[in-house]
Amino acid sequence: MASVAHAPEHDHHGPPAANVSSRVDARLLGIYIFIASEVMLFGSFFTAFFFARIIVPNETWPPEPFELPVYLALINTIILVTSSFTMHWALQSIKRNYRAGLIAGLTLTFLLGLTFLLIQAREYTRIGFAPKDLAFGSSFFGLTGLHGMHVFVGLNLLLYALIRSIRGHFGPKAHDHLGVEIPGIYWHFVDVMWIIVYVTVYVI
Amino acid sequence: MAVAAPQTRHAEHEGPPVRPTGRRRWTAGGWLRVAWIVPLAFLLVPVLVLALRHWLSYPSSPFSVLNPLDDSGWNDDFWRFAKQDLQPLITTWTVVVPFAFLAGIGGFDYWAYWISGRPTRPEDHSGHGARTWRDYFRVNTDHKVIGIQYVVTTIIFFIAGGLLAMFLRAELAKPGMQIVDPQGYNGLFSVHAALMIFLFIIPAFAGLGNYVIPLMIGAPDMAFPRLNALSFWLLPIAGLMMLSSYLVGPFAAGWTNYVPLAVQQPEGNLFFQMGVQWAGASSILTALNFLVTIITMRAPGMTFWRMPLLVWANFATSTLVVIATPFIAGSQFFILFDRVLHTNFFDAGEGGYPLGYQHIFWFYSHPAVYIMMLPGFGIVSEVISVFARKPIFGYRLMALSLMAILILGFSVWAHHMFVSGMAAWLRVPMMVTTMIIAVPTGIKVFSWLATLWEGRIRFKTPMLFALGFVSMFVIGGLSGVYLGSIPIDIHTSDTYFVVAHIHYVLFGGSLFTIYAGFYYWFPKMTGRMYNEALGKLHFWLTFIGFNATFFPMHWIGVRGMPRRVADYDPQFANWNLIISIASFFLGASTLVFLYNMLVSWRSGEPAPGNPWRALTLEWQVSSPPPVFNFDEIPQVVGSPYEYGVRGARHAVLNGAPTTQGREAAPMEESVP
Repeated sequence: MASVAHAPEHDHHGPPAANVSSRVDARLLGIYIFIASEVMLFGSFFTAFFFARIIVPNETWPPEPFELPVYLALINTIILVTSSFTMHWALQSIKRNYRAGLIAGLTLTFLLGLTFLLIQAREYTRIGFAPKDLAFGSSFFGLTGLHGMHVFVGLNLLLYALIRSIRGHFGPKAHDHLGVEIPGIYWHFVDVMWIIVYVTVYVI
Repeated sequence: MAVAAPQTRHAEHEGPPVRPTGRRRWTAGGWLRVAWIVPLAFLLVPVLVLALRHWLSYPSSPFSVLNPLDDSGWNDDFWRFAKQDLQPLITTWTVVVPFAFLAGIGGFDYWAYWISGRPTRPEDHSGHGARTWRDYFRVNTDHKVIGIQYVVTTIIFFIAGGLLAMFLRAELAKPGMQIVDPQGYNGLFSVHAALMIFLFIIPAFAGLGNYVIPLMIGAPDMAFPRLNALSFWLLPIAGLMMLSSYLVGPFAAGWTNYVPLAVQQPEGNLFFQMGVQWAGASSILTALNFLVTIITMRAPGMTFWRMPLLVWANFATSTLVVIATPFIAGSQFFILFDRVLHTNFFDAGEGGYPLGYQHIFWFYSHPAVYIMMLPGFGIVSEVISVFARKPIFGYRLMALSLMAILILGFSVWAHHMFVSGMAAWLRVPMMVTTMIIAVPTGIKVFSWLATLWEGRIRFKTPMLFALGFVSMFVIGGLSGVYLGSIPIDIHTSDTYFVVAHIHYVLFGGSLFTIYAGFYYWFPKMTGRMYNEALGKLHFWLTFIGFNATFFPMHWIGVRGMPRRVADYDPQFANWNLIISIASFFLGASTLVFLYNMLVSWRSGEPAPGNPWRALTLEWQVSSPPPVFNFDEIPQVVGSPYEYGVRGARHAVLNGAPTTQGREAAPMEESVP
């Protein structure tokens, strides 16, 4: 069987190291591409929302007699935005090898995110309409529910990072704190997406 | 499968991976763990769903009508409500059972270690390569094993989809109803289309790309091997889910699943919605993997302008998949919510917008046409250049036209909706963009023709399929231009003209390129040559059968025979009988392909490293390639297509310039 001439025998226990042809780390690029895909998923839900709101003629929005708790959601927005700062603090801490800051930052972010989710659950039960009430209700619960699912996934990621940081993982080198940075990028995405959802659904 | 010498060399160093024994075999990732975890999940779902619904006192909970004091027919009520509960049950099953399966087979093992904070097992590469056939039924992180897993799986679903088409044609051979009822007929063409699109064409390209791309760009593996393994195992889940809709009656609203029909259909429709989610997740994750691999793992010197066109094509396709696929996920979620949660996304009576579904669906599904076509363009570019022994004509324009199609592909979706009653002002702009997208496609066709011009053409099977593709795709592309113009579309909408068009594009287009790819890389993947005579026989049978089946459909379509209807006017009886006979001939021609593949894989002639005298990197290593592809990462120094150019080099491998296949003149049949 024809085969290429092999280099002189030296022990290969693994593959040759791949050439690095980009300055971006593969894992960071992966999460950015994943987020691009997520943005499009939100895009489809926004499309459905705007179909119900703009293409279908509505006299008022939200339709009578429904109302949206704008100010409660504003408080929630502030909570989630704050959690992005605590997340940033956690990442900066481990970059300076300050483990207590990492653990405190992740814990705070997790608790703020959990608060957001609990307030949203409470809002859902008292909002006065259900997913089956008009396309309005469907697209409202669709968008905020999709976002809530993302917060839930983000909380999971934060929890895993927290467990590992309590166990002494991660370090200041760029390669060693990807396990904090990537959940962080996801969390910032969830945060920015909420601002867009809040402005679109509640404010305008 | 023949094991190449380099593989055994590595195997000596590491030995086969240690498999658990005794009781631990039941808890380690594998089929034994699947054997108990999947039935457990299957039984747990109804318990949880019914308990939850009972606890939340939903009126449709069958337990709410269970009153032991009253024996007046509670049994009937119980089953009536239980049947109402079938939708939430099926939905939960189709979410939970696949996760249980993936956990059972070991797809999540690494991440489970990561999550719990335990030390993750360092990759010792013992999972690389396949030592026995059993390794193909395990979670394997080697892109070459995954590529073969993909290709074999997709061929199985291709056969299933083809058999459904045979039933369709049997029913249509005569006017009137003979074999199935109308709902059954609708189920046949819906499952046929869904399997062919989501379980064959899209993943077959992903499988070929998986095998070839890391080799082509000089990488030892994909960027995320574990994710790669997971995305493969999502695929059989999606396929079995779609097929298992036959347990409750197949989904029958077409692969387009338009509302409000989709919401009114029986439970089988849920299997399509969830099957699409699993197949979509699989292709998004694979596309993400391709993009990161192509961007970050190219060999030194492999600039974007030195990448083989197949890599370019998969780069463009993966971008499309990542951006567009979430829209079909969204569209099917909305239908799922409308069915199960009784939301009103598309109910006009409740403020919904029914046409919104079509907009969201086609915003994915038109780009999906290019997802099903661009990798084929890449395969054909490789094959034509190699077998015409000439550099590809207009390399840069070939790459740029792929990117142009990518961008324009997002601006044409509403040409599927000219007769839907959508906003009239949207029609002409969509017609214009549709005409414009023919330009980059035309650039590609003319570049292939210019590559063939004065080439030393070798009519091997891959080349025959590539040439068959170019000619048939031009027919399909032209009828696409017809359909893109509003007046013709209004006349031929929902007729067999559309059926003819889509099959000229997806069968004469995509499937021919997939066949070309299968034959072209068969020696590389299996280490054995296929039978050339049988390959050529397969091509001619397929080519003739294909045209005899689908060309007359143009005619009966223009004459007004509607598609997706089980019965038809007797005036079309003769043509339909001819089409049905031709389609059985076409179906039978696949047997030649299967026989050739199976027998050659087992006992074909051993393949040399570079049987086609090609320049690209995958042909510069042994067939099949060593476990880790390369001993050293090659240094790329030039274009991959400089056939017949003296002194041109594509890469330097192990200190020696790649010479195999470089020269155009000395060929087996024509020595000057």
